[in-house]
Amino acid sequence: MEMNWFLLGIGITAAVILLFRDWRVTVLALLVNYMSIALFLAEQQFITPDLDLFGLALSTLVVMQVITGFAVTLILAITALTFSREYGLESLDEFGLSELRRAARAAQRQQATQPFQWGDYVLPFWSGVLALMASLTLPQLYPIAPSVASDFAWYWLGLTGLLTIATASDLLKVGLGLLLCASAINLIYTAVVSMPTASGLNVMPLGMLSVFNIFLALAIAYLSGLLYGRLKTLELGELYRR
Amino acid sequence: MLYLLLIFFPITMAASTFVLRRYTNLVLAGALGTMVTQLLIAIQIPLDDPTRLLGVTLMLSTLNQVFLLIFLALGAFAFVAAWNIPHGENFVPIALLTLGQTCAVLLLQDPFITTLLLALTSLTAVLAIVDLPVGASNLVSARAIAAALKYLILMVVAAMLMYIAFVLSDIFRPGEIFDVVSPARFILALLTVSFGLRLAIVPFHTWLTDLVDYAEPLVAALIITLLNTTSLVVLILVFQSFPTLLFESVEVLWLMRVGALVSVLVSGMLAIAPASLRRTVAYLVLYNCGMVFYGLMSLSPVGLSGAIFGALNQTLAVMLLFISLALLERPDGRSPGVVRRDLLRRWPVAGAGLLVSSLALLGLPPLNGALSHMLIYQAAADHGWLELLILVLGTVLAGLGLARMASERLLGPSEELEVAEPLMLGETELDRPAARKLAPEPRSTAVLTIMLLVLCLGIGLYPQPILATIDQAIQNLAFIRVL
Repeated sequence: MEMNWFLLGIGITAAVILLFRDWRVTVLALLVNYMSIALFLAEQQFITPDLDLFGLALSTLVVMQVITGFAVTLILAITALTFSREYGLESLDEFGLSELRRAARAAQRQQATQPFQWGDYVLPFWSGVLALMASLTLPQLYPIAPSVASDFAWYWLGLTGLLTIATASDLLKVGLGLLLCASAINLIYTAVVSMPTASGLNVMPLGMLSVFNIFLALAIAYLSGLLYGRLKTLELGELYRR
Repeated sequence: MLYLLLIFFPITMAASTFVLRRYTNLVLAGALGTMVTQLLIAIQIPLDDPTRLLGVTLMLSTLNQVFLLIFLALGAFAFVAAWNIPHGENFVPIALLTLGQTCAVLLLQDPFITTLLLALTSLTAVLAIVDLPVGASNLVSARAIAAALKYLILMVVAAMLMYIAFVLSDIFRPGEIFDVVSPARFILALLTVSFGLRLAIVPFHTWLTDLVDYAEPLVAALIITLLNTTSLVVLILVFQSFPTLLFESVEVLWLMRVGALVSVLVSGMLAIAPASLRRTVAYLVLYNCGMVFYGLMSLSPVGLSGAIFGALNQTLAVMLLFISLALLERPDGRSPGVVRRDLLRRWPVAGAGLLVSSLALLGLPPLNGALSHMLIYQAAADHGWLELLILVLGTVLAGLGLARMASERLLGPSEELEVAEPLMLGETELDRPAARKLAPEPRSTAVLTIMLLVLCLGIGLYPQPILATIDQAIQNLAFIRVL
């Protein structure tokens, strides 16, 4: 049996996003995930190639998905890199400033008292195992896409996305889960609607999906920036404690 | 050209108002002008005349035109209200952007694009939830961020389920039966959950209560009137586009009615429990959402008429409700931090607006919700007395909730009764502090509230023109004729 490297790329990167907590690792995994999906779609020939890049026959729509992946990752990476900057402090009154100082102290205390624990990875790990079993079983029970590989890919992306949201401890990771879900619907749309029995691919929905991905990344970045500016942490536990 | 103008004019105006957002009056005047222009454009568009653009069909049906005109009029009301009611720095640009997206949803006939546009409107609304007024000296509340996050997650999940359902519908062939689940039922289940999330049907309702609790009232009004009602219109479009989903699932359609009944009953029960003013208002809105959803799921001409009329009434009542709520929550010149029980006496117009809009949501005659409720009750009676009884029980419970809220916050005796105490030894009239004069309600917003109030009453007394339009629109719906 021939190994599908792009499918493997999709699988591993989604698993990395589900398991790891460091944004440097997960955002990079997201970028590789987008690239793997685009190359997987090109390899499966769902869309007729109309470009020849370095001897590789590609479709403009696949290139558009690569650009979307870069844009989304760039938005999240720039947001994460600029968290430490302070905005709009000049308009805050004394109460607001003291609340910010208190939040910064609480966040520092939390970081100091919460060292690395293997226990934090147990739930994501087992949910990942569960998602893997479901993604391997569902294509047999309920095949939708034209190939088992594409069925596995979208089930896996959707399930890991949902489980990432469910097990996430910080806002950025919730956002990554949402983006994985968006990638799942992108993949199933491209794979299924391009089938001869379906209505056929349309440029507008694919373009809108890219716009949706970018807007979603912007919304996550905005909320993350707002939360960090407010509580000096992205931890959801702190958000719901108040 | 008119189609594009209707979609892109508010979007370009949103960009302009964003640049000028610090000049509140100028921005509000511009937004109001945009709404008037949009209304003129919407009237010019020929009905049921499809146009193709970039492989996508654009068309305005009679039903969608009615909703479009109502949304634009309510947008204008919201901008007038924003002159005196606290709102975020970016409220106007976000509202205009949302209106542009809503126009696109009502004009487009492609389910995939419609789903993504609905999701985009929700992403835009997230920005409004966490928006602070110009030059605010306080921090955005952590609860508001949590509410925005919850809304974001649930709406993206709803979009995902809806999109998968449409992808499956694209390859679904009637009569296909799998060993495990019928595809039609599976698609219908996905659609039910996704629209349940968008329409805030219990148990998918928690985003709405959080939204009402922690967002500015005008933002909550915008999201409930524009986005929820648009979702309902899209659901009708889905049934019209994929009627086979309903035909192949006739035996399980009662499940969706049960969901709506549970929603009505639970919202009524939640409304009677002790809660804040905002929370009770949220439960009354939830109750009405459940009623409208029941009307739609009854899949009969009477029920559908009731649901569409109910959705139209809901937009009016919710706008009046939240404008009144925002007026009631303004600093009233008395010592802050005290729960006031005489809000109707202190703010008579806003208090009356809150009471009337709540009664309209409950369907009390002669207000606008009465006829839609009667139609929904009639549809329930056709399905058996038990369903009718549950709806009536839900209404009674919600009514008790309203009575509790009114007695606790609105109808109490005036707290401003000053007892004239005799002068003390050596004291003169001049030594005493001047009698305190409390500011009245802002005139423009009070006039707006009265206008909405009269509109609610007017539609309640003379609903025939709107009902005739709705009946005409329903006759064009193939799925309802066949069912």
